[in-house]
Amino acid sequence: MSPYEVRPAALVLTGSRRYRLTVLNVGLACCAVEAVVAALGDSEVPGELPLAGPDDAVEVLVVSGTVTDKLAPLVHRLHAELPGPVKVVSFGACANSGGPYWDSYSVTKGVHLVLPVDVWVPGCPPRPEALLAALQELDGGAA
Amino acid sequence: MTGPPPRSRGTIGLLEENCTVCMLCARECPDWCLFIEGHTELAPAVKEGGRPRTRHVLDRFAIDWSVCMYCGICVEVCPFDALFWAPELVGAEPAREALVDEREDLRAWLRGVPPPPALDPSAEPAEELLAARRLEAITAQRAQR
Amino acid sequence: MTDVAARLAAVLPAATVSAAYGVVTADVERAGWVEGVTAVRDDPELDGTFLDLLTGVDQSPGGFDIVVRLWSVARRTGVHLRTTCPRDDARVPSLTGVFAGAAWHEREVAEMFGVDFAGHPGLDPLLLPEGGVARPLRKEHVLASRVDVPWPGAVDPADSGEGGRPSRRRLLPPGAS
Repeated sequence: MSPYEVRPAALVLTGSRRYRLTVLNVGLACCAVEAVVAALGDSEVPGELPLAGPDDAVEVLVVSGTVTDKLAPLVHRLHAELPGPVKVVSFGACANSGGPYWDSYSVTKGVHLVLPVDVWVPGCPPRPEALLAALQELDGGAA
Repeated sequence: MTGPPPRSRGTIGLLEENCTVCMLCARECPDWCLFIEGHTELAPAVKEGGRPRTRHVLDRFAIDWSVCMYCGICVEVCPFDALFWAPELVGAEPAREALVDEREDLRAWLRGVPPPPALDPSAEPAEELLAARRLEAITAQRAQR
Repeated sequence: MTDVAARLAAVLPAATVSAAYGVVTADVERAGWVEGVTAVRDDPELDGTFLDLLTGVDQSPGGFDIVVRLWSVARRTGVHLRTTCPRDDARVPSLTGVFAGAAWHEREVAEMFGVDFAGHPGLDPLLLPEGGVARPLRKEHVLASRVDVPWPGAVDPADSGEGGRPSRRRLLPPGAS
């Protein structure tokens, strides 16, 4: 029996209590670290990741990192198997367009070729506050 | 969370007055994300019977932020100091096309460019100041004669 | 460094041992590849018990080199072993019998260069999607994006407008021919 308990880890981000979104971070590369820092900074308990509970349905999918051609079908499947409508955030240059790997033989030139993207966040990597600003944009642009 | 530090690579501002459309930034960009167009115009000769001078005129200068990897090669390679880092963040957009900034937007980013670090007190003054002082001295000398 | 090279030459008498830039390399014939790697692994002095890397080099227009680095954790020294295969017979014995960990390295070299590893339990693609025909690390492989996407640096203001200089040498971006 494995000593580790594996459960899907969606995060609840609240943008300083202006909204409440259940966010699934599809952390594929370096941008994942910035997305996690955004969650850490958003937590009520400093340094603790605000994990979603069993009743929280994923509302936002953040693709943070490079999508390779090998992994693209899995990213598509992950999005397809989520119940309910989900907004997609393309986080970082690699998710937007392939970024620095725009000419690679193995990189998908942007997750928009695999999923419908609602918000595009530029950066390499974007700062954590850029993700929080993008989530705010999704939530109706409330200032 | 405090804002980005002053020398952060947030965005790039374009000072068009310094740009000679040499195309070095567009050529050196590893992501091919700078789009520059220009044309040449003739200016009158300086002296009587001289050759007309060729001037490059900038038509388009655009940066695609969805591809940019913020390496700074364009800023470093510009021989005329027309590009500057600014710590402001390029905002998220609902469409990828909106992440392309044209020359007006790039000029606006200059508002965030921090002043250059102060020179060491014992350092030589900036070259422009030295040139201006030399010119003043020469003008004063000629006025005295 | 010289004693490592000397020991390697003694352990592999049929190989050509060279040393350059702090790296000792033994060039081994393809037929003796498995025996050579096994000998370096089992030798008590060289102690090449850690397979650090297994990779390929496209020596176009020649064949392919397969390069292996064996490292001794106890002695903190390593040696390179290298074999070659011709382009039209790109086949090398697999090292999975010597190092189980060579399996994934050989899968990567197989998909990137198109080299077959005889005796490998399953040369499925590792990093590239299934069903691909491209061999991306071969020198003749062209990066499609650098051909399809127009290079912004190809534009020259001198080409349009009055006073432009004629026949300026066209520059090409790196990676395009």
